[in-house]
Amino acid sequence: MSSSMSLSSSPGLAYRLQQAMTFILALPPAYLGTVVLLVSAAALRPNLLSPFLLLLILRQAAPLGFATIGQSLVMRCRSLDLSSGGVIAVVSYLLTSGVMPLPWPIALPLCILFGALVGAFNGFLIVRVRASAVIVTLAVSMILSGTVIALSQFHAVGDAPEILRSMGRARVAGVPLVPLLWIATLVPLALWLRRSAFGRVLDAVGANPRAAGLSGLPHLRVVFVAHVTSGAMSALSGLMLLGFVGVGNVKLGADLALNALAASILGGINFGSGRGGMLGPAVAAFMLVFLFNFLTSLGLGEPGKLMLQGTLIGAAALAYCLRHKDSAH
Amino acid sequence: MTTLNPARTGLTHYTLGLPVVLVLLLAATQADFRSTQNLLNFSGQIGALLIVAVGQLFVTLVAGIDLSVGSVMSLASAFAATQSDPLAAVAMATALGVAVGTVNGMGVAFAGVHPLVMTLSTATFLQGLAYVVLPIPGGSIAPAMTAAATGEAVGIPAPLLWCAAAALAASIVLRRTRFGTHLFAVGGHPRSAYLNGVRVKSVVVGAYVWCSVAAAWAGLFLAARVAAGDPALGASYALESVAAVALGGVQLTGGVGSVAGVVAGVLSLGLMTNGLNLFGVSPFMRGVLTGVLLLAAVSLQRRRIVGM
Repeated sequence: MSSSMSLSSSPGLAYRLQQAMTFILALPPAYLGTVVLLVSAAALRPNLLSPFLLLLILRQAAPLGFATIGQSLVMRCRSLDLSSGGVIAVVSYLLTSGVMPLPWPIALPLCILFGALVGAFNGFLIVRVRASAVIVTLAVSMILSGTVIALSQFHAVGDAPEILRSMGRARVAGVPLVPLLWIATLVPLALWLRRSAFGRVLDAVGANPRAAGLSGLPHLRVVFVAHVTSGAMSALSGLMLLGFVGVGNVKLGADLALNALAASILGGINFGSGRGGMLGPAVAAFMLVFLFNFLTSLGLGEPGKLMLQGTLIGAAALAYCLRHKDSAH
Repeated sequence: MTTLNPARTGLTHYTLGLPVVLVLLLAATQADFRSTQNLLNFSGQIGALLIVAVGQLFVTLVAGIDLSVGSVMSLASAFAATQSDPLAAVAMATALGVAVGTVNGMGVAFAGVHPLVMTLSTATFLQGLAYVVLPIPGGSIAPAMTAAATGEAVGIPAPLLWCAAAALAASIVLRRTRFGTHLFAVGGHPRSAYLNGVRVKSVVVGAYVWCSVAAAWAGLFLAARVAAGDPALGASYALESVAAVALGGVQLTGGVGSVAGVVAGVLSLGLMTNGLNLFGVSPFMRGVLTGVLLLAAVSLQRRRIVGM
């Protein structure tokens, strides 16, 4: 702030600078964080910024991006979904162990349907039984991954279907297909949420569920739909992860739920404020994956990576929340 | 005292009945269960979880959640494995607990960061630090610590004494001290508590400090029991302690919970594991059954709030 004060000889510029600063600091931390990361990468590891690697990182970010779409929707109506690890474990098991000998045009939609059904089950318990979302989705995830681990004694997991692997490799005009799918899902959904009644109700429920309910808005249905969407998104990101890894794995999406939670918060979603859009979390998902790659390229090793990752996510959340505390007064 | 009101303690017939039913079931069907050796094993198995879960209770009472307890446990065990002086290990672990709790509590109370994100980032950081302090499982634990965690005093096995001490200390703090009353007040309605002169932010920081110190001691206890440090020792305890707390009727929205409930929750989880072993059920099914139990438990506790 002192630097902008010293420019007071031209008040217009100083004022505009200050305005710009306020605007930038009020943005979700993901935007500033991405810029800072890209600049530091340009200084320390410039080859990370080559279009080829950037596109690969974007591709790698897509599964987290899909999970983040679901997580951010659920968080916008004050709920939480920690079940994606379990959903992905089941999807990976269904597709790689040969228990579901169906052609892919049937098998893949079935997997997405399964995700949506898990979401519906979560939503039912949360909305109708009024159980805690943290516990319900955690328990569902435990049940699903536990079942898969117990079952994989009988049917070992094997290779992912060829269609998923070639989808993971496919490029359209040099651009990997998977991030294009991500954008193709994100943009219409973001526009729809901005314009539709559903989007308005979602924000109203997030801001004050009691008021939304008393005003006659279908607040329970919104939470339910958000959970169904989140479950389907988890299944989708599972399909993509399978395509990248090529082999089924019980631990495939184990850390996805918590990373999607971090991405949503860094992207400006805040429990109970009714704030937040779709773009911020998407940028945050890219930022996180870029951060993981950047830290790896610095040759830090696992311990250093974890420490920096924790510090950076915590610092971004702290900075954002402190900033919003100030502006709220 | 008013804290014995079921609306405050969250105790129901289900919470308290579940471990009783499990004990009766196991005692009736499995002769091995009644053996002294099994009971000894059992108290050792649940000891660490009980100590952490009672700490987690303090945080959930103020509507928080602490996912960093697992990493704190791992790091404390790494300290124990690299220090030859047991007192130094205990001092370092305690200091670690105070520091982590203060950071978590300040982030949540003063900056308003959501507890899940705040404790998740400290958990990630501390997990990295644990790998720095002790890259691979191993090291040696001071014999005095092993003796304190596995021996016995006046004929009672030490793990049981540690469990009782953790539960008793928490119970006294919650029921007999001003801090305990304030925890319930802040969890029930922070604004109302603030208007009544409760220093809400300090109470929240205090809850996180208590939780982290409990986690650090649980890490020491576990390391002493297995006689080695492990940088991933506590990995499963973050979610398991939340599960135990939820099974015990504690509401994650704050203000409702009791030590008795948490002990019942830990006993249920522990008895289930122990019972599955005795019945010879695949250990992989344990996660499934824990999940089913959790779902059943939360489905029986209908709340007014939707979400979290």
